[in-house]
Amino acid sequence: MDSCAAAERSSGGLTNRSSSFFKLIDTFALEIGELKKEMVQAAPALDKQPVALQGLQAGAYLQPPHCGVSVGEKDSGYDSLRRRMSVLDRLTQTHQVWLLLAVSEDEASGILLKQPPGVFLVRKSAVLQRKVLSVRLDEGGSEAPIRHFHVRESQYSFSIEGSGISFADLFHLVAFYCVSRDILPFTLKLPEAISSAKTQKELEDVAQLGAGFWDSALCSQRRSSPSVCRRLSRTLSPQRSRRTAEVEESRQGHAGAHSDSAPPTLQPHTSPPAFFQHATHPAGPLCFVNPLFLQTHPRCHEANPPTRSQPEAAPDSQTPSGSSRCREPEVDRTKLNGKSRPPPPRPPPPRSMPSRRPAPAPPGPPAAASRTKSMPTAVASRKPQASTRRPAPAPPPLPAKTSSSVKSAVSPNRPPPRPKRPDLEAHRCHIALDDETIARALSRANLPSCQPPPAAEEPPQNLGLSGPDERGRQRFSDMSMSTSSSDSLEYSRTPGFSLDLAPSPPQDAGQEDSTEDDEDVEEEEEEDYGVGMEADLESRLGQVLKARRRRVGVSLGGGSFILPRSLKGRFSKVGGMLSSLMTPEKRAVKRITELSRDKSSYFGSLVQDYISFVQENRSCHTSGMDFLQTVRQFMTQMKAYLRQSSELDPPLESLIPDDQIDRVLEKAMHKCVLKPLKSVIEVIQHDFQVNSGALQQLRENLALAKTKKPQELGVDGAVPPDAAAIEKIRQKFLSMRKMYSPDQKVSLLLRICKLIYTIMQDNSGRMYGADDFLPMLTYVVAQCDMPQLDMEVQYMMELLDPTLLQGEGGYYLTSAYGAMALIKNFQEEQAAQVLSSEARNTLHQWHRRRTAQRSVPSVDDFQNFLRVALQEVGSGVTAKTLQVQPYTTAEEVCSLCACKFKIPDPENYALFLITEDTSQQLAPDTHPQQIKAELHSRPLEHVFHFVYRRVANLNLCSPADVDNGNCLQVE
Amino acid sequence: MAIRELKVCLLGDTGVGKSSIVCRFVQDHFDHNISPTIGASFLTKTVPCGNELHKFLIWDTAGQERFHSLAPMYYRGSAAAVIVYDITKLDSFQTLKKWVKELKEHGPEDIVVAIAGNKNDLGDIREVPMKEAKEFAESIAAIFIETSARNAVNVEELFQKISKQIPPLENAEVESNDSFKLTRQPSQTTRRCC
Repeated sequence: MDSCAAAERSSGGLTNRSSSFFKLIDTFALEIGELKKEMVQAAPALDKQPVALQGLQAGAYLQPPHCGVSVGEKDSGYDSLRRRMSVLDRLTQTHQVWLLLAVSEDEASGILLKQPPGVFLVRKSAVLQRKVLSVRLDEGGSEAPIRHFHVRESQYSFSIEGSGISFADLFHLVAFYCVSRDILPFTLKLPEAISSAKTQKELEDVAQLGAGFWDSALCSQRRSSPSVCRRLSRTLSPQRSRRTAEVEESRQGHAGAHSDSAPPTLQPHTSPPAFFQHATHPAGPLCFVNPLFLQTHPRCHEANPPTRSQPEAAPDSQTPSGSSRCREPEVDRTKLNGKSRPPPPRPPPPRSMPSRRPAPAPPGPPAAASRTKSMPTAVASRKPQASTRRPAPAPPPLPAKTSSSVKSAVSPNRPPPRPKRPDLEAHRCHIALDDETIARALSRANLPSCQPPPAAEEPPQNLGLSGPDERGRQRFSDMSMSTSSSDSLEYSRTPGFSLDLAPSPPQDAGQEDSTEDDEDVEEEEEEDYGVGMEADLESRLGQVLKARRRRVGVSLGGGSFILPRSLKGRFSKVGGMLSSLMTPEKRAVKRITELSRDKSSYFGSLVQDYISFVQENRSCHTSGMDFLQTVRQFMTQMKAYLRQSSELDPPLESLIPDDQIDRVLEKAMHKCVLKPLKSVIEVIQHDFQVNSGALQQLRENLALAKTKKPQELGVDGAVPPDAAAIEKIRQKFLSMRKMYSPDQKVSLLLRICKLIYTIMQDNSGRMYGADDFLPMLTYVVAQCDMPQLDMEVQYMMELLDPTLLQGEGGYYLTSAYGAMALIKNFQEEQAAQVLSSEARNTLHQWHRRRTAQRSVPSVDDFQNFLRVALQEVGSGVTAKTLQVQPYTTAEEVCSLCACKFKIPDPENYALFLITEDTSQQLAPDTHPQQIKAELHSRPLEHVFHFVYRRVANLNLCSPADVDNGNCLQVE
Repeated sequence: MAIRELKVCLLGDTGVGKSSIVCRFVQDHFDHNISPTIGASFLTKTVPCGNELHKFLIWDTAGQERFHSLAPMYYRGSAAAVIVYDITKLDSFQTLKKWVKELKEHGPEDIVVAIAGNKNDLGDIREVPMKEAKEFAESIAAIFIETSARNAVNVEELFQKISKQIPPLENAEVESNDSFKLTRQPSQTTRRCC
């Protein structure tokens, strides 16, 4: 923020970069040519191997990472590749270490104070609710040792406050500042352990530590062994212990990320495809510049170019004032590059992929365990719910997710939401994908489908490449190939998919093919951008590429990005263009969507199970609303899960501005849940409506309401839309029905409301509130005469993101709901209206009558009760109400009375019926209740009493006496 | 500053000036906090309050009796309710009491209730004594103010008072998102012809 001068430099840097970029392109072209030659030869062998290995490798990979063991071993062979890992790759893979959103300023300072200048963290300020880049400054400086730069997040980009350069995501931003200082006092520096890591494994180890890294030996070691000479043999040393690696890293570390990563750094495919593509495009004949990313591109170019051929140029240009480090790295790079190129021979990549995400194939029991662990507890609980409702959906995924185990392992370190290893896994996946994809492409034209996610995952490719086949020399070509494939993947699929693929990867053809098939199918369904194009390319190149892929993949580790881009630019310019136009949001949505189809991921299995459950169990809900609520609940749960889980590799926070995350997740849910379920939901809703008779009633009422004039519906004053306008609105409603997204439906509803407002205001020139609008809306809805609208409104009402219900969309949706409700009950409303006017009094009187009558016993009241008076000679009369059934005899009543009145000598008592002028004893077998009923039914009212008294005395008590209230009276 | 969205619903008889009050509040002062809405029945305005920004999402409701049954859909989840009556119409004050009762019984808990006696520029034909209204408001612990949308009197103040009553940093405005059903009829109310 303080440093404003940086801006100037950056601008200057751009031009430099562009030139360097072109150089790079040229070199790429050359390399590509070479690669092609090589590729043709190598192809055949590669294809087969992968297939055989896939399953096993994948499994192995998955577990190893957790253990922290295996990966390194395999990777050891890839040292050369490692070097090529770009800064972006490194950042992406180790975000667990530096992206510490939960860390406070004090904690951040505590961590950074122990670090050399340039080391940084990204945290989130609790006060400002913004991300902050905290950087360690020079010790000697007069300023505070730690400086905090606020990250500005706009809807589509991330930037440092005060800088004019913005980036599509946080990774790119940080990567850029690792290379170019812009407004910073100097470039950022990665911890040595990260900048000098040569293998994925090493990075994984670091990433696993999460925030604990800063206190770990790994972190401190580097410094201690800073200036060791660099090993030329990195590539050679296949199996390094971490320490050795670290040491090396430390050496390199001084150079900073640059030395190793720098060349490849920015290029790293990790970054969203869009950016890179831009870079490539320039080279290619067609250039499409996405305005959104204009600022970003320069860096990307720079980053990319530096990779091998021109590593130096890029860095220099970028860091004008340049820290000493930059230069050093360059030198290193050159050396490294030379070495690295040849290396790539091993084909391991596929496994890696599995490890990253639940490898589909290998998943043994362990995998399952891992999964469960990986799932946040909350998630687990949620799951159950979903499953409970629908038995079927229960989480099946366990077996498939070996990879998850890795995650779980990681998770402990970093319990929170952020994916721990996702990076590594992603990388692997990429790699695997690349190979696989290539293979697929070669074998089948389907490619597009297989290819996963865009940006973040790309980096992984490099790793992957190195892994599988060892033919390193072809790197460039390979890389290009892989990248292209990866790109295609990206377009077609999100990372999730790639992961899926990953499991199979190791063995080229076989695995890839199988995976490809599945993926292809899926991808084809959706295909968004340019997939087709790429597929074609791949299909043409396929065979050759295939062979190469593995090799390439291996080699790619370093410069895969660059080449691929260039290749792409040539081959799939169109695809590139399209992809470049994708916003980070779209990319994120795509990734999630792809993940949702990946049954080997936990998320994917949940979603897929749920979808199939809904499809198969349509009748387990009590109402359409109930059903929709369960759908909504599921989506909400999945959103929460995605926010917490590490399945989304680079955490969403690093790709999407904070305030956009929920919206993006919501959008993704619509796409991966509602889209496939839309038709089923409609059927279910319709069935409920039909079965309950609601539809029929609605139809009738609509027909009736349609005949009403606006005034009859409460419109007062405002002029209603004419027939043409009604028809226009009707068409909009019809098109609304075709959409699956509640958001889009609502936005269309808003347009309709706007239209109604416009008509109202045009005709009268005043502002209308709800008093006028709601009746008008009701009128319009009635005129449209669309019973389906009811379902539409319900769909939106129940499925719309609850947080949106308070806003304008929620308001007008509520109004539409109200309008439909009024129409649904139109006849009743009418009745009520009539009543309320004249009949109200009648109603009221009727009501009073009813209440008044309550005070007098009704016939019903007599049915089971009988009031009986006890007449004692000396003590007057007492009465009790007894429960007497209609067929209870007088004798039974007598014994009841004896009991109630506590008569010691019941044999002397009897039940009498006394009327005004008579008194007669009831025979034991008569039924008092029937007698009572008979008396009641007489036309003339009689006063009568049931009296329980001594038989001996035949004294009649006067009715008046009895009348004291003790006896029943009927009048 | 953190922005908090506050849903405010407007209740009251038709013709008492609900919409006018809101329009006055939202549009009187030209400022950029106003986000355009498609119509006057839903308006928003953001005002500073302490360390927070309160963004009022104002839901107007139709005052006619026939729409009364829809009201619960409108006021559910509201942080505040402004019940408006017309000081020149005693009937509207009776309706207001009915709304107060309904909110107590069916409204969100902790909802801030504000009573606004509108059209106080027409004091000549006043039917509702200010004292009576004020006492009633006090008896239910509601905000009370007399306003004149036409003359822009006390409109701003009305919302400021509401802002102050909103508990600061209230734990996320969690509203029960239970679906509401139209069929849930409000309590019996006196019927008025419209």
